[in-house]
Amino acid sequence: MTPTGRTTKKQNLLQVQDLTKSFGGVRAVNHVNLVVDYGELRCLIGPNGAGKSTLFSLLSGLQKPDAGRIFFKDKEITSLPPFRRVRRGICQKFQTTRIYRGLTLSENLFIAKQVLNESANRNGRLSWALKTLGIEAEAERPAGELPHSHQQWLEICMALATEPDLLLLDEPTAGMTPEEAALTAEFVINLNAQGMTVIVVEHDMAFVRQIAQFVTVLHYGSIFAEGTLAQIESNSDVRRIYLGEQ
Amino acid sequence: MKTRVYLSVWRVLNGAQELGQGPIFWTLFVLLSLALLVYGFVGSIFSLSNLANFFAYVPMALGLCFLWGYSGVLSFGQAAFFGIGGYVYGLVAGNLVGTWGGTLLAAACGIGASMVIAAAFGYFVFYGQVSGWIIPLLTLVLSLILETFMGQTAGYQWRLGRVLFGGYNGMTGIPSLRIGPLEFTGASTAFYFLVVAAIITVYLSLRFLVNSRHGYAVIAVREDAERTRMLGYNVDLIQVQVFTLAAGLAGLSGVLYVSWGNYMNPSSMGLVPATLPVIWTAVGGRHSLLAVLLSTVSLKWLADSLAVRGGEYAFLILGALLLITMLFFPSGIVVSMAQKWRSRSRQRAIAAHTESSKDNQTRGIS
Amino acid sequence: MSPAYIVSLLYQYADNVAFLLLAALGLMIILGVIDIINLAHGELIMMGAYITTLAYNRAHLPLPVCMVLSVIGVGLFGMFLERTVIRRFYNDKLGALVATWGVGLILSQGNLLLLGPSMPSVPLPEWTISYEGYSFGGYRLLLFSVAILVVLVAWWFFYKTRLGVQTRATMQNAKMAQSLGVDTRRIYLFTFAIGSALAGLTGALYAPTTTIVPLMGTTFVDVAFITVVVGGGANPILGALTSSAFLSVISTELSSVFGTFTGRIGLLIAALVVIRFLPQGISGYLRDIKRRRMARVST
Repeated sequence: MTPTGRTTKKQNLLQVQDLTKSFGGVRAVNHVNLVVDYGELRCLIGPNGAGKSTLFSLLSGLQKPDAGRIFFKDKEITSLPPFRRVRRGICQKFQTTRIYRGLTLSENLFIAKQVLNESANRNGRLSWALKTLGIEAEAERPAGELPHSHQQWLEICMALATEPDLLLLDEPTAGMTPEEAALTAEFVINLNAQGMTVIVVEHDMAFVRQIAQFVTVLHYGSIFAEGTLAQIESNSDVRRIYLGEQ
Repeated sequence: MKTRVYLSVWRVLNGAQELGQGPIFWTLFVLLSLALLVYGFVGSIFSLSNLANFFAYVPMALGLCFLWGYSGVLSFGQAAFFGIGGYVYGLVAGNLVGTWGGTLLAAACGIGASMVIAAAFGYFVFYGQVSGWIIPLLTLVLSLILETFMGQTAGYQWRLGRVLFGGYNGMTGIPSLRIGPLEFTGASTAFYFLVVAAIITVYLSLRFLVNSRHGYAVIAVREDAERTRMLGYNVDLIQVQVFTLAAGLAGLSGVLYVSWGNYMNPSSMGLVPATLPVIWTAVGGRHSLLAVLLSTVSLKWLADSLAVRGGEYAFLILGALLLITMLFFPSGIVVSMAQKWRSRSRQRAIAAHTESSKDNQTRGIS
Repeated sequence: MSPAYIVSLLYQYADNVAFLLLAALGLMIILGVIDIINLAHGELIMMGAYITTLAYNRAHLPLPVCMVLSVIGVGLFGMFLERTVIRRFYNDKLGALVATWGVGLILSQGNLLLLGPSMPSVPLPEWTISYEGYSFGGYRLLLFSVAILVVLVAWWFFYKTRLGVQTRATMQNAKMAQSLGVDTRRIYLFTFAIGSALAGLTGALYAPTTTIVPLMGTTFVDVAFITVVVGGGANPILGALTSSAFLSVISTELSSVFGTFTGRIGLLIAALVVIRFLPQGISGYLRDIKRRRMARVST
């Protein structure tokens, strides 16, 4: 059941069936079923070690699942290598920044925008993003010298440069001040309003509250609960698993 | 529209991924190129021939510079592809004597053979996404095995058509490149001009390449291969392409060398020849094409001078030079010198600026 | 296929395995623990051969004593090398490769200048065993036994001694080992010394069987490198064993049909194919299988 109540396959951008992944003896992702609509802004939350980042790496292709299938735009991508998924329209912004530190900001973006989502239409989102996030002025600075929040924003812009249909943001506000996080939240909402489907993994509940439409809660690798932000916040079981961690 | 293309070509050629930009550099570059060309008319055949021999190795070295410095892959295989280029050229040209354009076809076959074998080798190595140390090892093994293999091809059964492989003595009597009546032998001014034109073309083309979007893709792979995959690049294919291009350039050097000397033997592919391009590249500075070009010609000239006076010491000195470079000048001797010169001139500019602003202050001007 | 023929094939196989094992083990141990390829490995083998030959020919010491001198001498040189050159390159694996290559070049060329292009070798101990019309060299059988013995000693060291356990810990996770009180710098020094000593032993053992020239290291390194690539650095002993066992099948087969250096080209092609599908070598692949099996067990 998707947030808007639609159940027909055609409307789903992303469909994850029974996805499972283990590392050593630990089952990081446990028979996860997930459906994401076109145009959604989905938040993925859960206590530490719940499997959120592993799920992302399965979606972007960094890891291969032990079992299960992934469908993107109604085509199966389970065994597709990462670079082909980017060309289909999925792009991830990583938790720890992986920009090209020795190259300038503009060189980083130059590299990022060479290979595009093959079914995208050019829509100028990158220049809008650069302007909104305010990092255009630092175009010629080496990326490694940028302040941390700017590096995060550069990474988001690099992901946007591939013109994805689905943007995966893994902890986009890690290490940011509350003001920077608020700016990022506003940016994500505007991006989604323009039609970009976004899945966000976040720890910072304040950020989640600013942007969340529909929330999926992961716990020990399984989907623990799904619902609107209000439903999740009033769910006593969810509170328990979080308080139990604290 | 046309000026736009020229301007963007100029912008790429003048780009940041290589040492030397701006009007002063390019003026010097043009002057030096002209000097080389003029020398072709005034120099003695002996010195032209010597110089041409040194220049013939430059494409191979530039290929390794691109492969190692810009793409991050160390290969000891350039000597192997040099040899393949030369031997295949010899096989084809020797059988097509008298045919018009035979040597040109042979050159294409020689370079082509290097590239095909490199692509096959590269497929196994890069699509397996192996650890970094595997490629230097396996390319070294390739060079050694090819040397041993060609070394035992003495005997009449080892031939193609009427061309004998020749075993340890090598293939002799290989015809030089020829276009109609113009023959590019080692002792001809034609060959000198050919080689000078070749190295200028190769240098400028590579320089353009490294600053283009393909060059940036290659650099991105060197910096962080996995990140580059996640931006949609087919990294394995890119690495095979770079490896193949470097091998093609080594093959070109092989063809030029054979045209110069009319022979090719297995010792051109062995241990020491496999190392030489690595030494030239490391000593010059693998991140700069120009540095490698300069160091290759200088070190070849050095080895040549030593061969006259005390040839046995040549490789010992080269080995020591390599070790000293790796320990004390890891970014290369030419590159280190260029960086020091650049920072010193920047310091001088800053000092001059603060001096003049101090003067302005004492004069009451802000 | 007479039984004697099979025995002769087995003999060739054992001979090949011994050669690969002895040529590669020192290199693999250094790779496994320090994650560095020592491209001077061939020259260290050459050094071992030269020490043995010189001690035998000039000092007229008994052959086993000469060999022990080689092991100690090259081991000490390895320690010297580690102190002066290797330790600067722990974070620069390709740099270590190039620097050790420079060292190897200095060693071989320097040797050429000092001691000339060749040297009379130690006479091969005359122990032939005849069987059904085939004759087998007893010395080469001895080499095979020594190779197996070396592997057993290495296994005993890594799994049964305290220093060995510390070395394996350093191999798995150097930082963790350090925080547990292991002196990783001394482990690296010791490992490099052992790897060099093994190279010296190989040179010493094979000195009677081959011509003594400064570039003799190359005949060892091209197969040593292939063995290392196919074996992988995940587990040096297991990798060396499985790799030499597997590769010797190919080289014995090809050599008996086509001749020795088709054998070598076959090995290179085999290495390329293996690396395409098992990029971490055989020992890396076995390690991954073990990890996957552990995953399945706990679920």
